Amino acid sequence: MSYLEYNIRTVPTGLRKILYLNYPIILLLVTIASIGFLMLYSVAGGTLQPWAEPQIKRFGLGLAVMLFVAMVPIYVWRNVAGLGYLVSLVLLVAVEVVGVTGMGAQRWIDLGFMRLQPSELTKITVVMLLAAYYDWLPIEKTSRPLWVAIPVMIILVPMALVFLQPDLGTALLLGIGGAIVMFAAGVHWAYFATVIASGAGLVFAVLTSRGTSWQILKDYQYARIDTFLNPSADPLGAGYHITQSKIALGSGGWTGRGFMQGTQSRLNFLPEKHTDFIFTTLAEEFGFVGAISLLILYLLLIVFCVVSALQNRDRFSSLLILGIAGSFFLFFAVNMSMVMGMAPVVGVPLPLVSYGGSAMLVLMVAFGLVQSAHVHRPRRKLA
Amino acid sequence: MTFWRRATPPREATPHPVPVEQPVPHELGAAPHGQEEIGKDGEPRRTPLRPLAQILWARNEGQNPDGIAQANLTKRNAAIADRSRTRAQGRLFMLGIGFFCAFSMIGLRMGHLAASDPVAPRASFSGANIDSTRADIVDRHGRLLATNLPTHSLYAQPHHMIEPEKAAAALAEIFPDLNAAKLKEQFTGARKFVWIKRTLSPEQMQAVHDIGEPGLLFGPREMRLYPNGALAAHILGGTSFGAEGVHSAEVIGIAGIEKALDARLRDPAQAGDPLRLSLDLTVQSTFEQVLHGGMVLMNAKGAAGVLMDAHTGEIVAMASLPDFDPNDRPAALTSGDASDSPLFNRAVQGLYELGSTFKPFAAAQALELGLVNAQTPIDTTSPLVWGKFKIRDFRNYGPSLSLTDVIVKSSNTGTARLARDIGGVRQRAFLDALGLLDPVPIELVEAGSARPQFAERWSEIHTFTISYGHGISSSPLHLAAAYAPLVNGGHKVTPTLVQRSRAAPIPAGAQVLRPEVSRAVTDMMAQVVERGTARFAQVEGYPVAGKTGTAEKPLSRGGGYHEDKVIASFAAGFPADDVRYVLVVALDEPVETSGEEPRRTAGWTAVPVAAEIVRRTAPLMGLLPEIDVEAPPGLIRTSN
Repeated sequence: MSYLEYNIRTVPTGLRKILYLNYPIILLLVTIASIGFLMLYSVAGGTLQPWAEPQIKRFGLGLAVMLFVAMVPIYVWRNVAGLGYLVSLVLLVAVEVVGVTGMGAQRWIDLGFMRLQPSELTKITVVMLLAAYYDWLPIEKTSRPLWVAIPVMIILVPMALVFLQPDLGTALLLGIGGAIVMFAAGVHWAYFATVIASGAGLVFAVLTSRGTSWQILKDYQYARIDTFLNPSADPLGAGYHITQSKIALGSGGWTGRGFMQGTQSRLNFLPEKHTDFIFTTLAEEFGFVGAISLLILYLLLIVFCVVSALQNRDRFSSLLILGIAGSFFLFFAVNMSMVMGMAPVVGVPLPLVSYGGSAMLVLMVAFGLVQSAHVHRPRRKLA
Repeated sequence: MTFWRRATPPREATPHPVPVEQPVPHELGAAPHGQEEIGKDGEPRRTPLRPLAQILWARNEGQNPDGIAQANLTKRNAAIADRSRTRAQGRLFMLGIGFFCAFSMIGLRMGHLAASDPVAPRASFSGANIDSTRADIVDRHGRLLATNLPTHSLYAQPHHMIEPEKAAAALAEIFPDLNAAKLKEQFTGARKFVWIKRTLSPEQMQAVHDIGEPGLLFGPREMRLYPNGALAAHILGGTSFGAEGVHSAEVIGIAGIEKALDARLRDPAQAGDPLRLSLDLTVQSTFEQVLHGGMVLMNAKGAAGVLMDAHTGEIVAMASLPDFDPNDRPAALTSGDASDSPLFNRAVQGLYELGSTFKPFAAAQALELGLVNAQTPIDTTSPLVWGKFKIRDFRNYGPSLSLTDVIVKSSNTGTARLARDIGGVRQRAFLDALGLLDPVPIELVEAGSARPQFAERWSEIHTFTISYGHGISSSPLHLAAAYAPLVNGGHKVTPTLVQRSRAAPIPAGAQVLRPEVSRAVTDMMAQVVERGTARFAQVEGYPVAGKTGTAEKPLSRGGGYHEDKVIASFAAGFPADDVRYVLVVALDEPVETSGEEPRRTAGWTAVPVAAEIVRRTAPLMGLLPEIDVEAPPGLIRTSN
């Protein structure tokens, strides 16, 4: 639904916009991030360095960025969606050329003050461009094959570039995030059924190609699949993360060992304890109660986003909010599943809690967009 | 469409001229409130934005017809929006279900894990256990020869080190063989892993613990231990670490029986079942002691000996000197003659021309073939000329000697003439039947490479020289195996180091000599001890039947023999009247210097050593001495 039918003049202007921000979402963001600070403080053995303090600073910066993004009218963001998408594609190509290789994959561009991970940026720009596309597209054309092919290309190109880095996990999340936007936009369900079916076929092909001359994935990726399917087979090798994090979760029990009392994570049993596996620290120190609380906070965040999307009569805004909420959901769901042994270990951080600069910043920009859409939503029908 | 749009301009609001006069009768009755009609194909049919009737009516009334179009457009868009909203709500509902399911699953999993007992981390360290223990090795009475000792290896992870310099200095103090500067370099360099020691003693381990450096780590190790040190070193051989990991290391045999039976020793199914050797620890110890004393006394540079059961071929004791400690195996020589290394097993690997000890083979074969009997006079005219070669005796024994005396006095010419009558082909076949032309199939890796050396052509002159033990090189073990048929009743034996169970005794070998021939040869050799070259071998209570051999060592550059370097050997069976054991003693370059001039012959060197071995080991093996009991003066009758 476009602006045509609504009176834009009902939208608040200037600093008054601050009054119309979606405060429940901001409160939830701050709460979740604070839990992250506590965890990073605990993991570091009760010191702000080396993780908690930089994380707090970055979150502060992120809040400022979020407010700035929220102040800018949402149509501006819609109009730059295509440009943003192109920039992120260029960065993805650039990372192949000048990127820094980390942990076996080429993912970063060193900007000096921060390491930019273009795949993070791509997650927003793809959702933005898709929302803008469906805003522009007459609704009756939504399910026509040609008009479905275009968003599919919009998703596939960055997906392929991320896959080449190689970062299978992020590539898949990117694809699913885009698919959520398409689904919410009302593309006929038969397309999704086809994609899911062919996806299953691909999984079959990947598994059968193992060890042959046309092997599709890298050996470490197969190792992760094996580990997922049977983590106890190699408890000291590839299954180490999973085994140790399950021990941590088990030792946390219902109420946990207490703040700063975790052994598994603090005694260095767990690698990546401050990034992808920080959830284990939480689960060990605060137990089931702490873990489920964090889950509920995430759930509330999603619920507030969906409510905001439903309230919003602007098609771009509501699709954007849904897309961002969906991506966000995918992140923590995949991370938690991975830590608890329900999904293969793919390098996905726990949003807002895991230590990491560019992920945090990108997330705050995304919630800035959500706020902007909320603030600038059309208020009242023209008679 | 402009690139920068603040709001979408109304797409169909642009007024366009409508043909006023055109009658469109069927649209007159269009639904006034824009309610949608459903067409035949199920698609909503579009309500015209400018229904002619209304436009005309509006024109007549003087109103702006664009307003009607605008209003209709708004209605249409609202209808589309409602439809898409309904659809979007359906989609959102489905997404919500998906989210909810994911949330529930994650929540349930959390509960499940929280309720689970934490698995003890140790339980997952299955890889830390050493997969299978190497089987022990014991002697024939079950006494330990080789076992395993759990110990630890030491390694470093420099990136976890707090004070690498201090740790390097402390380690160098604990292990004097380590270089502090080199360790420091390794600890401060880019390496993430450094092996420091493969095995540690408990004291060393405690000392390393006390450094308190978290970057120094221990890995479990199983170490092969030979509790008797150098005893039976050449038989046991040695082990080394194969594939080494932090949590375990493979122990593999690298020499001797450890290597030859590596698969059996590593077999997990037989790990608890020690390998039982035919060796007798007590006899082996005594044997080595006496042999060592003999080697020193006779100024020999090496010595070798084999003591074997004459009937079964089981080796009771076998030694080669100098020896080594298998717990601390010396490195192999990188230059020079391998036989100078203590690792060299003279009894098995040492191929020597064993000289006159071969003579009984010729005598036995001649008897077996019925060419002669023990009293047949043999031509011993010296020299025996064959082409440009002249064969001489040690001293001239006159025109002829009986066959017994040829052996007793060790006549080269007499033996050579016997061999001439036997012939080269039959001689070769007989030596082959005794196992003298092939490696001994014993359970030692070293034995496989010890293939006797002889001229493949085997001409008549070779037949002559081989009959008295020249022109053929074999090991002391070969000799022991070949002597067994001469003294055991004539059946071939295959030497072995592994004790056979009583249920599956070693089957008797092929009969190579008739029993009476074996008896006759044993008697001849008994006379060698009684009145011949081996008179020092007379042991009270244990009659010995044997033959000496003194062979000059060939020059290493070939083409001749050393005048003053000999291999002195003595091969014997005892007790002579019912031989149970075969004994071979060989001394490398012995010189007996108690007399006026140095004596090198076996009778003065090898024989006394062998005699001492018999004297000391026979009682250990349970042989009862034969004591000449004088006939009692008379019987005393008693009645009860």
